[in-house]
Amino acid sequence: MFTLITLYSTIIPISLYVSIEMIKFIQSTQFINKDLCMYHVETDTPALARTSNLNEELGQVEYIFSDKTGTLTRNLMEFFKCSIGGEVYGNGTTEVERGSAQRNGMTLGEVQKSTTTIREKGFNFDDARLMQGAWRNEPNPEACKEFFRCLAICHTVLPEGDESPEKIKYQAASPDEAALVTAAKNFGFFFYRRTPTTIMVRESHIEKMGKVQDVSYEILNVLEFNSTRKRQSVICRYPDGRLVLYCKGADSVIFERLADGQSGIKNLTRENLEQFGSAGLRTLCLAYRDLSINHYESWNEKFIQAKSSLRDREKKLDEVADIIERDLILIGCTAIEDKLQDGVPSCIETLSKAGIKIWVLTGDKMETAINIAYACSLINNNMKQFVISSETDAIREVENRGDSVETARFIEDTVKQELKKCLEEAQHCLSTASGQKLALVIDGKCLMYALDPSLRGHLLNLSLNCTSVVCCRVSPLQKAQVTSLVKNGARKITLSIGDGANDVSMIQAAHVGVGISGLEGMQAVMASDFAIAQFRFLTDLLLVHGRWSYHRLSKVITYFFYKNLTFTLTQFWFTFQTGFSGQRFYDDWFQSLYNVIFTALPVIILGLFDKDVSASLSKRYPELYKEGIRNAFFRWRVIGVWAFFSVYQSLVFYHFVSASSRSAQKWSGKMFGLWDVSTMTFTCMVVTVNLRLLMACNSITRWHHISIAGSILAWFVFIFLYSGVMTPYDRQENVYFVIYVLMSTFYFYAALLLVPIVALLGDFIYQGLQRWFFPYDYQIVQEIHKDSPDDSSRATFMEIRNQLTADEERSYAISLLPRETSKHTGFAFDSPGYESFFASQFGVYAPQKAWDVARRASMRSHTRTTPHRTLNQNY
Amino acid sequence: MDVDGRPQSVPVLSRRQKVIYQFTQQNLPACKPVLTPAWVIATFLSLGFIFIPLGLLALVASQSVVEIVDRYDTDCIPEVFRSNKVAFIKDDSIPKNCTRYFKVHKPMKAPIYVYYQLDNYYQNHRRYVKSRNDRQLLYGLRYNDTSSCKPEETNSGLPIVPCGLIAWSLFNDTYRFVRGAGELRINRKNIAWRSDREHKFGKHVYPFNFQNGTLIGGGKLDPTIPLSDQEDLIVWMRTAALPSFRKLYGKIEEDLEENDVIEANLFNYYNSYSFGGKKKLVLSTSSWLGGKNDFLGFAYVAVGSSCILVALFFILFHVKNPRPYGM
Repeated sequence: MFTLITLYSTIIPISLYVSIEMIKFIQSTQFINKDLCMYHVETDTPALARTSNLNEELGQVEYIFSDKTGTLTRNLMEFFKCSIGGEVYGNGTTEVERGSAQRNGMTLGEVQKSTTTIREKGFNFDDARLMQGAWRNEPNPEACKEFFRCLAICHTVLPEGDESPEKIKYQAASPDEAALVTAAKNFGFFFYRRTPTTIMVRESHIEKMGKVQDVSYEILNVLEFNSTRKRQSVICRYPDGRLVLYCKGADSVIFERLADGQSGIKNLTRENLEQFGSAGLRTLCLAYRDLSINHYESWNEKFIQAKSSLRDREKKLDEVADIIERDLILIGCTAIEDKLQDGVPSCIETLSKAGIKIWVLTGDKMETAINIAYACSLINNNMKQFVISSETDAIREVENRGDSVETARFIEDTVKQELKKCLEEAQHCLSTASGQKLALVIDGKCLMYALDPSLRGHLLNLSLNCTSVVCCRVSPLQKAQVTSLVKNGARKITLSIGDGANDVSMIQAAHVGVGISGLEGMQAVMASDFAIAQFRFLTDLLLVHGRWSYHRLSKVITYFFYKNLTFTLTQFWFTFQTGFSGQRFYDDWFQSLYNVIFTALPVIILGLFDKDVSASLSKRYPELYKEGIRNAFFRWRVIGVWAFFSVYQSLVFYHFVSASSRSAQKWSGKMFGLWDVSTMTFTCMVVTVNLRLLMACNSITRWHHISIAGSILAWFVFIFLYSGVMTPYDRQENVYFVIYVLMSTFYFYAALLLVPIVALLGDFIYQGLQRWFFPYDYQIVQEIHKDSPDDSSRATFMEIRNQLTADEERSYAISLLPRETSKHTGFAFDSPGYESFFASQFGVYAPQKAWDVARRASMRSHTRTTPHRTLNQNY
Repeated sequence: MDVDGRPQSVPVLSRRQKVIYQFTQQNLPACKPVLTPAWVIATFLSLGFIFIPLGLLALVASQSVVEIVDRYDTDCIPEVFRSNKVAFIKDDSIPKNCTRYFKVHKPMKAPIYVYYQLDNYYQNHRRYVKSRNDRQLLYGLRYNDTSSCKPEETNSGLPIVPCGLIAWSLFNDTYRFVRGAGELRINRKNIAWRSDREHKFGKHVYPFNFQNGTLIGGGKLDPTIPLSDQEDLIVWMRTAALPSFRKLYGKIEEDLEENDVIEANLFNYYNSYSFGGKKKLVLSTSSWLGGKNDFLGFAYVAVGSSCILVALFFILFHVKNPRPYGM
């Protein structure tokens, strides 16, 4: 009995593990690490797969948790625009504006940069009206002067290095401040030295054009920035004794502190602020106030008192500062671009089309976070937004009472109510089927309470219904908590992406961690599973590599299962005929080498080279990714189909061969023995199993042919040698000469033609029917693009794209079109719609989409409802 | 692909580099078979048109074979012993001869092969299959590590050649055929595969101490003839795959005419009764495809015609209810 059971041990393929490891290893080291599409030229960083275990999970990601700064944005603050006295300065369009313009179908030409433009880290401002002293000719040069001085004086930046404009480096607490000081430098107000009491500024063009003078400002007080004050002030004394308070801060704070009678400039500036804000810029308002000596002296006493007080110093300082920061005169505002990384909005749009939900977890303020979310098209105005914030008046009021226990209880109650309300609304929204997408914005403090076990369920429910979620002001720990909430609650594959040390916990919490190998050090990369240089490479990583890996590995595993089941089942049918004595059907060597040699290589080739659709189509039809999220290729039904056909095939092998070998097989009337029959069966099986693999392939390269022909050949070479040579080590069941006996009969060839074809016929019919009646999405795309060329130009094109202008690119793209080579007529590709595909890929306005044409073509032939009409409608 | 627009700065890659480049960028040239309805239909049709003629050919070959099968295991036992066949077969004192007659329905061309067929005989049982020693068969007594032959390894301290259960259970019914007045000579040479005769059974190995035990299994061997010439043993030792099998007994090298009556004088020695096995005598001619076996022909024809049916079904469906391409 035990012997009998050991016969079936082959059903567990030990070589599966080895093969899969090998496939994954090559996938990650050769494909992911060396993909030119994920290579960042500027920083010379290729993608890096730090583990080879997660390749297939990349194809099933449903939730992405992303950090903001450094991940979505470049973490490079650049002075971009400003408004002085109501006048806007600075040309140029932000990425956000370009993105929204493109969505509205406008073409934005590349703005010609004037020759005077200075490009420098932190400064991307282009307007000749302010440069090189030209501001003197502007309507209000005085305001300009104050504006620049405010930039040069009101900060806490430390200069470092040589005191020349080219070589100096500014050390600032935030990159925004450095950008502002750099801007002042470029406007001709070069801050070059700081002593404990003075700031030295080299001012140009003050009295007349071209004149440079060093001015030393005495710093009397610095009223530092904090998050409640949202402003920063410096009181300084000019060399001529003038006392001025310069203040910069958030618009809401500054505007309520302005002196009366500035409604004109106030309104103009407010308009400008809105304009800047919608362009995704970070704004600050600048203001100043002249102080009289008496007023200052009396205030300074209070200030010193507050400063030296032992209790509640912070609070007292704030109060004192509040006294002097009044009656301000508005100068204008600055706009700093926290530049989105290249391609982030389109990447996010693609990913969300692929059915991936993107959550932004950031330590930034709510406004900034929402701004960025808008900028990268995570949130738009068509979405219903739920905002759960702790910055409401009611909460602030309770907080001011100072009872921390009561505050906590109050916030908890509020969060609870909000969550319930939002959940109801969300359910209402979804039940009315208005198709409106939902977005949730929540801040860290509320999240703290919402993550409480009693509310966790509500939060999960609500957030899973939302297409995008923004969590702001969250701590690294909360990032990890949110990630594991979804990971454990939704039981979906999650991916975290971040660049800094504060993202490490989140990266480790998710199934797949991705690190941006960027500016903020290596901690995130060291903790991650994959490292990429830019956020936009996530499209390639997930939609191309992940999807392919998932496809390939599910095929490899199901195929392995199939081939071993088939092998074992033939043995199984045989045991019925041996009185369950446990006699082996196959020679030991056949059995051992079946997985190792005769069927090993082709499946690895499949795992490496199979492509259902090309990389560009994977990205063009992101909806294909949903098949991975649904796990459409590795579910019980798929395995069941394979199992069914392996039962069928094994029956065919065993019974066809045994039934047809009952009589003599030759003129000479001699009969076959056990080993002749088993060798015949095994030959048929090796041929069939290898050919079956070919049927499973979507793209067949030379290597497929070589490996499959090689495997079948390997079997014949083996059996020729094995049965041709008699050695002292032969065992009892001698297969000596068996293959030659077999091959001397016509029967061998007749059976070798018949059996594999009959065995494969079942699969062939099934595949035909399945493709015909229940096609997978990828099969539809395959059919649409059957005649389009392989994207072998993909990487080549990318290399040279950098050297071409936009127009050249477009013509190059069109030159690649298969118009001459394609023999297919009467379908979409002849029509003008086809060009628009490439056009739209390069950001040129595309009047007609290829799939529109495709749909029209298909509707012309027949209008019939298919289960996949929805797919087309999505396009 | 049009690459004229390529700037000069793109480095020209060597062939090897190009392959590696295509490999890492996953851009190896590939063909992409898409299983379209046209393909499916064409494949089925062509399969059908290839298979049906092949099947007919095989059927013709099989039908041209004339086969006479006669089951004699029960009929060759005298009426009185019918209730206890085993006792009959074990009793050496009772003569075992038996005469059978059969008529030739179709002319049979020489050579006519004589087979014995055993049913319900598990020659593929694990213990049976391994109870032999190929080294001993080839080298005889020079080779003495015959532990695999148990329980027929030694007898009264002396090794047995050929050892093992398979040899021990050698089939030993004998047949003689008489047509009219003259005897039909059975040629019992060249009934085993040449490779077995020449490479598996030694030319200088003679049976030794064979069937000398208390329990006699089957036939005895002439100890003066080397194993390589004992072809009935060689045939027997090529164990069958299935519990029902035929083995070649000999050849009649005379044509048989229609309506000839053949008298078969056989000695029913072999004990298949203790395990309920059936014994049959088979006379058969042969074709290029071997003996009478319609299976291959039928299978070809059936598969071919079902291919055409499926193709027709697909065509009908395609015409009546086409799936818009790419929908």
